[in-house]
Amino acid sequence: MSELKDCPPLKYYDFKPVEHVKVCPRYTAVLGRSEDDGIGIEELDTLQLELETLLSSASRRLRALEEQRQILTDWQDKKGDKRFLKLSKDADLSASSRHPKPKKQKLEGKAGHGPGPGPGRPKSKNLQPKVQEYEFSEDPQDIPRNPKNDAPNRFWASVEPYCADITNEEIRVLEELLKPPEDEGEYYKIPALGKHYSQRWAQEDLLEEQREGARANDKKKSLLGPLSEIDAKDVDALLKKSEAQHEPPEDGCPFGPLTQRLLQALVEENIISPMEDSPIPDIPVKDDGVGTSPRSQGKPFSVPHTRSLEARIKEELVSHGLLDSEERQGAGGDSEDEVLAELQKRQAELKALSAHNRARKQELLRLAREEMRKQELRQRVRVADNEVMEAFRRIMAARQKKRTPTKKEKDQAWKALKERESILKLLDG
Amino acid sequence: MALVSADTRIAELLTELHQLIKQTQEERSRSEHNLLNIQKTHERMQTENKTSPYYRTKLRGLYTTAKADAEAECSILRHALDKIAEIKSLLEERRIAARMAGVYNDSDPPRKTMRRGVLMTLLQQSAMTLPLWIGKPGESPPPLCGAIPASSDYVAKQGDKVAARVKAVDGDEQWILAEVVSYSHSTNKYEVDDIDEEGKERHTLSRRRIIPLPQWKANPETDPEALFSKDQLVLALYPQTTCFYRALIHTPPPRPQDDYSVLFEDTSYADGYSPPLNVAQRYVVACKENKKK
Repeated sequence: MSELKDCPPLKYYDFKPVEHVKVCPRYTAVLGRSEDDGIGIEELDTLQLELETLLSSASRRLRALEEQRQILTDWQDKKGDKRFLKLSKDADLSASSRHPKPKKQKLEGKAGHGPGPGPGRPKSKNLQPKVQEYEFSEDPQDIPRNPKNDAPNRFWASVEPYCADITNEEIRVLEELLKPPEDEGEYYKIPALGKHYSQRWAQEDLLEEQREGARANDKKKSLLGPLSEIDAKDVDALLKKSEAQHEPPEDGCPFGPLTQRLLQALVEENIISPMEDSPIPDIPVKDDGVGTSPRSQGKPFSVPHTRSLEARIKEELVSHGLLDSEERQGAGGDSEDEVLAELQKRQAELKALSAHNRARKQELLRLAREEMRKQELRQRVRVADNEVMEAFRRIMAARQKKRTPTKKEKDQAWKALKERESILKLLDG
Repeated sequence: MALVSADTRIAELLTELHQLIKQTQEERSRSEHNLLNIQKTHERMQTENKTSPYYRTKLRGLYTTAKADAEAECSILRHALDKIAEIKSLLEERRIAARMAGVYNDSDPPRKTMRRGVLMTLLQQSAMTLPLWIGKPGESPPPLCGAIPASSDYVAKQGDKVAARVKAVDGDEQWILAEVVSYSHSTNKYEVDDIDEEGKERHTLSRRRIIPLPQWKANPETDPEALFSKDQLVLALYPQTTCFYRALIHTPPPRPQDDYSVLFEDTSYADGYSPPLNVAQRYVVACKENKKK
C-alpha cells in the first residue's frame, strides 16, 4: 500500500523537442533568412513536410502531457483509491499503445522512459511486456506473406494415410478381402463341348440357301407352271443338288461373305488335316455321280485346288449327313484340345495368382494385427511417459522449495519409471 | 489581371509564412527550457526512488506549462501549414485556369505532352506533399483522411485526383488515375481526364465509377485507425503506371512520410501476389467491388 502511494503510474516520457537543425534543414535555413529573402514557392513542399514533422511531434507531446498531468491530478485527488488507480492504468495502456514508443526512440536517438529502478517500478513492469508485444506484432509483418500457398498442408494430408495408426476398420476390410470370392468356381468350370463351328455355319448356310431357294422357286412357280407341282421334298433334294453343283464355281469368284467364310474354313480344315485327302476323292465320284456334269466344267477351272475342292465336297456331305466321317471328328478333337489346353493353362495361372494374393493378404493381416498390438503398447508408453514427467515435475518442484522429495513421491517416480521400462521392453521384444 | 492579383497574394502569403515560421521557432525555444526542466525533474524523481508531494506538485506545474506551450506551438504550426495549403490551392487554381485556357485555345500550345518520367515524378511529389492530418486531442480524422472514405454525398471538386473505372479499347475495365473536370448534378456524372496525357481521353462516368483519393495522410503515430490494416483488400496505384490494381496491404506505413507496402494480385507469381511494393498513402483506396474481373 505504501509502495502504491509512493508510485504514481507516471511514465517519465522523454519530452525532448525535435532537433530541428538535424531533422528539418529547410526550416532551419528559412529561420536564418532575413525578411527580404523570403521563401520560394519551390521550397513549400519540403517546408510542409518539416512543419508536419514538428506539428506531429508537438501534438504527440501535447497528448502525452495531458495524459500524465491527468494521472498526477487523479492520483493526488484520490490517493489510495486502488480501483481508480487501476482504471487510470488501463487508460494508460490503451493510450500508450497508440504511441509506438520504440519509434520515438529511433527518431530521437535516445532511450527515454527506460524501465529504471525507483518509484516507477510497477509501471515499468507493465511497460516491459508491452514493448515486447509491440515487437512481436511487428515481426510477422516482416515475413513475406504467401496467402495462397497451402502446398505443405496438401503434402501432409497426402502423407497422413501412410503414417496414421491402423484401425479396426482396416483389419475388418482385410479379413473381408481374405474370404474367397463367390464367383471363384465360375472360372474353373470347363463347359461341355458344343457343335463344331463348321457344322453350325454349314447348317446356317443351308437354311439360308433354302430360304433363298424357296423365294426363287416362288418366282419360278409363277413363270413355269408345271414345276409348281413338284412337291417340297423334291425341291429340297433339288436344292441340295444345285447347292453342291453351284458352289464350286464360286471358288473362282467369291459371292456372299458366308460362302466365303465357309470356303476359308474349308481351306483351313484341309491344311490342318491333309490326311483326309486320300479317302475323300473316291466318295464324291461315287455318290454324286449324277450331278457331276456342271462340276466337270468347273474342274479344269479349279485344277490347282483339287484338294480343297474335294475337302469342300466332303464337308458338304458331312453337313448333309451323308458322310459319317470319323476322321473329321478326330481332326476336330485336336482343335478342341487346343482350346481346352488354353483354358486349363489360364485356370492354372489364375489359381497360382489367387494363391499368391491370398498369401500376401494373410501376411498383411498378420502385420496389421502385430502393428495394432504395438500401437496399443505405444499408447501405454505415452501414458507412462506422462506419468514419469509428472513425477519428475513433482520432484523438481520439491527441489525448488529446497525440501527433499517425500518417500511417496520417490516411490511413485520409481514405479512410473519401471512401468515405462517394462512396456518399452515389450515393445522391443 | 486575376493572375497578377494571385501572384501578389502568394507573395503576401509567403511573407506571412516566413513570419509564422520564425514565431514557431521562438515558441519552441521558449518551451525548450521547460521541457529540459521536466526531464531533470524526472531524473531526480527516478533516482530518489519515491515521489514526494513536492515533486508531484512541481511536476504538475511543469506539465501544465509544457502543455500550454505545446498548444501554442501546435496552433502556430497549424497556422503555418494552413498558409502553405492556401498558397498551394492558389497555385492549383492557376494551373487549372492555365489548362482551361490551353483547352479553349488550341492555337498556341502551352500544354505540351509530358514525358512519362516527368509525370511519374510529379505523381510521386504530389503524393509526398499530401498534407498530414494532425488532429487536436480528442478529434477524430475526417473523411478522405487516409482510409476513411468520403461521405456518400461527397462530390469531388474540379482538379481533384480520383480513381476512375473506365472501359479500355479492348473492352477491359480498368481503374485509372484521373482528374476531375466537372460534375453534372442533373445526370450524376463526372467528366474526368486521364492523368496520363498520352491517352488524351476525356471520360464521362457515373459517380459509382469514381473513387476520390485521400486528401490527407493519416498519421500512424496518432491515428492508426485511419489507415488500412494488414491484409485488407485495396486498389493501389501500381508503381510507374497510372493504373490502380487490386492488392492486399502488407504493412501499413510506420511513419507519416512512409508508404504502404502492398502485395498486388499478380497471377505470374506462384502464390498469386507480387512481392511487396511501396505505394504512397495518396494512391491507396478502398476496393469496393469484390467480384473479380
